[in-house]
Amino acid sequence: MADRQFEIEIDRLFGEAVVLPDADRFAAIVAERLERGWRFRRLLIGGMGALGGVIGSAQLVSAGLLSHVGGILTGSNSAIRAGFSEARIASHLAEAVTAGAGLDTQVLWMSAAMAVVATILLMTRAIRDI
Amino acid sequence: MVVALKTLIGAHDLELVALATAGDRRAFGELVRRQGSAVRGLLRRMGADATLSDDIAQDAFLAAFEQIGDFRGEGTFAAWVKRIAARLYVKRWRRDQRTDIMAETPEPDMGDTSPNAAADKIDLDAALLTLSPVERLCVSLCYGAGWSHAEAAAALNTPLGTVKSHVKRGLDKLRARLAGKVDSDTREFPAHG
Repeated sequence: MADRQFEIEIDRLFGEAVVLPDADRFAAIVAERLERGWRFRRLLIGGMGALGGVIGSAQLVSAGLLSHVGGILTGSNSAIRAGFSEARIASHLAEAVTAGAGLDTQVLWMSAAMAVVATILLMTRAIRDI
Repeated sequence: MVVALKTLIGAHDLELVALATAGDRRAFGELVRRQGSAVRGLLRRMGADATLSDDIAQDAFLAAFEQIGDFRGEGTFAAWVKRIAARLYVKRWRRDQRTDIMAETPEPDMGDTSPNAAADKIDLDAALLTLSPVERLCVSLCYGAGWSHAEAAAALNTPLGTVKSHVKRGLDKLRARLAGKVDSDTREFPAHG
């Protein structure tokens, strides 16, 4: 048999479909290992996200960022009010904004909550990418 | 994306790969069911026992799932996973070898290659057993996993010429077995006319 022809024959023999009797069992084991890894990863991502959220919140509170943001928001409200007045916008809009100033605390907490959620999402994405 | 199991069973490998790339683990499971035997078979031909071949094949499929975005569809999915599995096996093989893996190994028992023995059905697995471990590994890497001689030499950390020699010797032994089978087949089923 010529060399090339023999190599083709060997290629063919190696390429012949083989089906082992426990193919389904093997597939089930791989699926189980895949699922286990996925479960672990989800737990890890969730845990790290929660930890990141807690750390982020603590940093926000300890850095006095909330009061700083509160001050900025109050200033912004004043500026907006002035702007509205100058522009002679309808009075009910100005009142609504003024009323909003009274909700500073709620706004701050909502901002903090959104920051936490954003942190969790970012970490989740980063871990998935890794 | 949820695809019915029936659809998965009827789907082409490349369609399953696309689904698996999108995160469908059931589609990947179907690929494992289809190609698992081929990968395990190759590892056994390389010289792994049943347990080791199953372990490495599992690791290869898990690695394949992680890297499935890298599969470009240039060859078959099975060939791609076989290459991953071969890499893992060579790594393991090198680690397990306490001495230089390319050191001269004693010639294995070639078995009875007389015409009477050749008259028995010779399959590739049986023929590979007549090769030395290194020859079997080199031949399986180059013909079973689709590696080039250079790739095998690099992975085994051995000169290219040495790998070529192992492959050639291995092929010669396989040829001897195969030629015996062809002769015996001719005797058993003489041409009419």
